[in-house]
Amino acid sequence: MKIPKNLSRIQILGIFLTLFAGLIVFQMINIQTSAHAKNLNQWAENYGYQVTTIQSERGYIYDRWGHLLAGNEEVYEVGVELQFVTNPASVASALASILGSDYNTVFNLANEPYVEGKSVYIPLSDFVDSNKIDQLDKLKQQYEATNPYGEDKKLPSLRGLVWTAHLQRIYPENDLASNVIGFYSFLDRENGRGFYGVEEKYNDLLAGIKEQVLIPLDPYQLQTIPTAPAGASLILTIDREIQRSTESVLDAAVKSTGSVNGTIIVMNPRNGEILAMASTPRMNLNEYWNYSKIFTAGVPFNKAISQVYEPGSVFKILTMAAAIDTKTVTPDTTFVDTGVINVGGWNIYNWDRGAWGPQTMVGCLQHSLNVCLSWVATQIGSTKFYEYLDRFDIGHRTNIDLAGEEVYPLAEPGDSTWYEVNLATNSFGQGVAITPVQLMMAASALANDGKMVAPHVLKAYIQDGKQYNTNTQIVGTPITAETAHTMTNMLFTSLQQESSDALVDGYAVAGKTGTAEIAVNGEYSSSQTNASFIGWGPVDNPQFMVYVWLEKPASSIWGSVVAAPVFRDEVKQLVVLMNIPPDSVRLSLEGK
Amino acid sequence: MTETRKNSRRPTPFWEKINLSQAFKQAPWRSQIQVVGLFLLGLVIVILVAGIYLTISGQAAEAGLDTYNLTYDRRALERTIADSKAQLALISSSSVMEKRATAMGFEPADPGSVVYVSVPGYTGKQTAILAPPPGVVESQGVVVKSEYRESLWDWLFQGINRLSTSVKGNS
Repeated sequence: MKIPKNLSRIQILGIFLTLFAGLIVFQMINIQTSAHAKNLNQWAENYGYQVTTIQSERGYIYDRWGHLLAGNEEVYEVGVELQFVTNPASVASALASILGSDYNTVFNLANEPYVEGKSVYIPLSDFVDSNKIDQLDKLKQQYEATNPYGEDKKLPSLRGLVWTAHLQRIYPENDLASNVIGFYSFLDRENGRGFYGVEEKYNDLLAGIKEQVLIPLDPYQLQTIPTAPAGASLILTIDREIQRSTESVLDAAVKSTGSVNGTIIVMNPRNGEILAMASTPRMNLNEYWNYSKIFTAGVPFNKAISQVYEPGSVFKILTMAAAIDTKTVTPDTTFVDTGVINVGGWNIYNWDRGAWGPQTMVGCLQHSLNVCLSWVATQIGSTKFYEYLDRFDIGHRTNIDLAGEEVYPLAEPGDSTWYEVNLATNSFGQGVAITPVQLMMAASALANDGKMVAPHVLKAYIQDGKQYNTNTQIVGTPITAETAHTMTNMLFTSLQQESSDALVDGYAVAGKTGTAEIAVNGEYSSSQTNASFIGWGPVDNPQFMVYVWLEKPASSIWGSVVAAPVFRDEVKQLVVLMNIPPDSVRLSLEGK
Repeated sequence: MTETRKNSRRPTPFWEKINLSQAFKQAPWRSQIQVVGLFLLGLVIVILVAGIYLTISGQAAEAGLDTYNLTYDRRALERTIADSKAQLALISSSSVMEKRATAMGFEPADPGSVVYVSVPGYTGKQTAILAPPPGVVESQGVVVKSEYRESLWDWLFQGINRLSTSVKGNS
């Protein structure tokens, strides 16, 4: 180019700079509008966001002292990024030797061709613990050192093998309190949920948030990064040590008596807190897939709340409480037991078919006389009797905060299933079906100055960094405090006079045995029974209430023989774990 | 009067003697230099602004990426914490603790062998308190100073506001 002679150097510099600036502007426009720019824009639209499922960490479950009963541990999903796999045989071999995977299956999967947008990543194994991942990592690094980037396809290489961490539900106590806790189906990572116990009852609270979100990959939009706060944690009323002790006592009792199954509930009758709830069978919650093997058809997960049965003589405490409260009888009222009473055209007999002669009401309870209690019920009258059963919430759910509570409706006068004889049979616990926890709730009125408390297992929950404690719920006051004290004294006296196996040295306890014949093919069997015992103590200031139920004991059919000693064994451990001194020591310490 | 006389004797500065129009006519390259200078000045300003913009953009992008990375790190740490809690619970589970206690020679206490001592003021073991109650309001400390969160305009306008407020307050 020929530069005109009349242009000065300054002018040339100006032209040059102008051209340079123009070039920059041109290039800027070109970059923004070129075909490549359009591709880049399209790519940004396609890949500018990442669809991710954000999921809260499932909340923890603690016992009343803060011991972890359900938590989360870190595990890994192992898979292959097909684009980078150089030696599928090495991958298969490593997974077979370290994870125990099937060689051929892994090889075939790792050998899949890479197809962009379609076949990119294949998971090979999941829920792998960190120790095995450490082994894989070590092996991968060894191979990488000898064969960098897997360039030599003849040499082993774990290129393309990747692992991603995630959390898995873990129950550190294995089967401890399994009937109360329930389980979380963690193997189903997409649709896992809680089953039974508090895992199901409080599933929504524990789960927190789970949703699919678009995460922008543009770093300028960092303020839109979503977060998922952890689910709420639960603090249960369960005491780990009492629960363990209770399960130990129950297992020993079931074994020694040859019972089919058993249940023990320990509750604070003052506030309804369940301290322990043991039931057989139990299962290791970390292996919940064995559920169907352990809980075969008809076996509920938690018999304490899900198994209705005829309670038998333990029910007599409610009948007598109603009679005392209505002033139908007093503890000293005498009944002459002739061994039979006819109600509604049906003869009612005692458990031994014997006639016990003159008996006070204490004697009727002590000897568990069906004839006497039937007479008491007739004296109360059906209207009042069923009014009291309603007050005790018989035939209704306790609404305990555990999933799967069952109830059996109570037949009352006017119902098509009710007959006059029901008044007599119901008075001693036949023809009426309840769950153990229902009886616990009803009996709590006797141990708690007439106030019936709602049984519950949730002591507190922690959400958004705050701890919310639950309050005691008084469900009703079916009897007066005076009646409650009278009943407790009657049941204390009857145990003393009977020299019951339920007595605990140094501790005054009140209680009642129960032996309920089980209906087989429409008739009550004399060889198959539900043996039970309900008791509480210390009688002057009840701090525990224990219900024992043994199903079909083989060593003896009687509750006084098989269930009462279990109550004693349970209480002996309970008083130590609850720091309850013997009555004499306690009263002297209290200055009484 | 003396000063007036002195000033009248002061020599006239050279720029007062020169006619500027005349000067530009005699040397037209002066106006060209002026144009080019102004152009270059504008260019330098644009480059400076672009440079500052690029620097800040780069830092913002880097901060964004750091935030993403920190988010992932936080998730990893949360998993580690959860895992540590689980491992701690495993090694302090009731069955493990019982084994350890037995190995150390402990045995379950019998009710008759326990000695009870009254401790004045001791109300007994308290149940777990793992978080503050809802009534407690935690003070939210300022993590990032406002200087790092407000833009130049925010700072400018807020400064003006503060200034005007203080002026009104004083008046």
